[in-house]
Amino acid sequence: MEGLIVSNVLLWCLLLALAFAVMGLVRQIGVLHSRLAPAGALMVDKGVSVNEPAPKVTAADRNGRPVNFGYAGQKSQLLFFLSPTCPICKSLLPAIKSIAKDQADRLDVIYVSDGDMDAQHALIKEHKLENVTYVVGPEVGMTYQIGKLPYAALIDQNGVLRSKGLVNSREHLDSLFEAEHLGSATLQQYLHGTQEHAHSHSHSHAHPHNH
Amino acid sequence: MQPDPIFVIASAVTVAVILASAATHKVRAQARFANQVEDYQLLPKMLVRLFARLLPVLELTTALALLAPFSRPYAAPVAAGLLGLYAAAIGFNLWRGRKDIDCGCAGPDQAQPIRPALLLRNSVLVGLAVVASLAPYAREMGFFDGFVAIAASAVALLVYATADGLLANSPRLLKLIGR
Repeated sequence: MEGLIVSNVLLWCLLLALAFAVMGLVRQIGVLHSRLAPAGALMVDKGVSVNEPAPKVTAADRNGRPVNFGYAGQKSQLLFFLSPTCPICKSLLPAIKSIAKDQADRLDVIYVSDGDMDAQHALIKEHKLENVTYVVGPEVGMTYQIGKLPYAALIDQNGVLRSKGLVNSREHLDSLFEAEHLGSATLQQYLHGTQEHAHSHSHSHAHPHNH
Repeated sequence: MQPDPIFVIASAVTVAVILASAATHKVRAQARFANQVEDYQLLPKMLVRLFARLLPVLELTTALALLAPFSRPYAAPVAAGLLGLYAAAIGFNLWRGRKDIDCGCAGPDQAQPIRPALLLRNSVLVGLAVVASLAPYAREMGFFDGFVAIAASAVALLVYATADGLLANSPRLLKLIGR
């Protein structure tokens, strides 16, 4: 009899611990769910709104040639805001370069930076950016109200801002193109279904819809 | 048939803790709870505020009364009635097709739409309240019986919290896999 009671107490204690662990797991899954959605480029909610004409601004690149931002043109523009003092920006440069190479026929990639000119030269040399359009100066960043780096904005051929966001990885960068393609301002908006689709799309592949 | 006192005590403690925590949620976010009551569209507007004010008091009183053996036979039917009332409110709105209103089931931090699964959850709770209302079979209660009753209600509460978490997660999961 004594043994049975001991075993019963022990079993209750173990059951309690197990139930506690399961509850903890479920809570963690809940937290993961709430953290999962903003996996795309994070939109810092200020500045120019997406799917509106991008502000028009002209700035000189590092060789003194004028570069137009936000005007209608033959190609879309990808603005990549970076700084020589930002390590994540540098880690993204290979991804930016490969996007520029892949989509050279429809996309102009413009690097926008600010700060010390010597540091810019060192960065350009280190990452072999001699032939790219590289703007140094605060005008563009101030016009687009960029508060955090690395930041990217995508402007289509008609001069409409299609997507923008803080980009910390190759996936975030790709999400900008995906956001453009889906017609949502950001992937978060698409996921939360808060915006009606700006334009209907007749692509053959199916998108997951979440209604 | 008279159940063993352990069943009655464990059910009563479980229902009491659930009701008490529901009452504290309602008191902590009073305006929010009033909005939820209004969302259910079951009461005339004048009564909503009054109902939202009185319901937590009733819940808390019932929870306390469930713990004491002499008041338990009266409190348990009230608890069953309350839980049944919630189920009826959810069921009625589901029947009206208003699936998108916030259930208000699991406290201020967990918004979840009303679904048939919540009816199941409430009917289990009503079952527990019914067990708590039964007159137990009279026997000597030792220390070990007390331990088993407390441990059983603790496990029941943890399982309840787990089920609640799973219920709250399931709409998010469906969203994630794109249904």
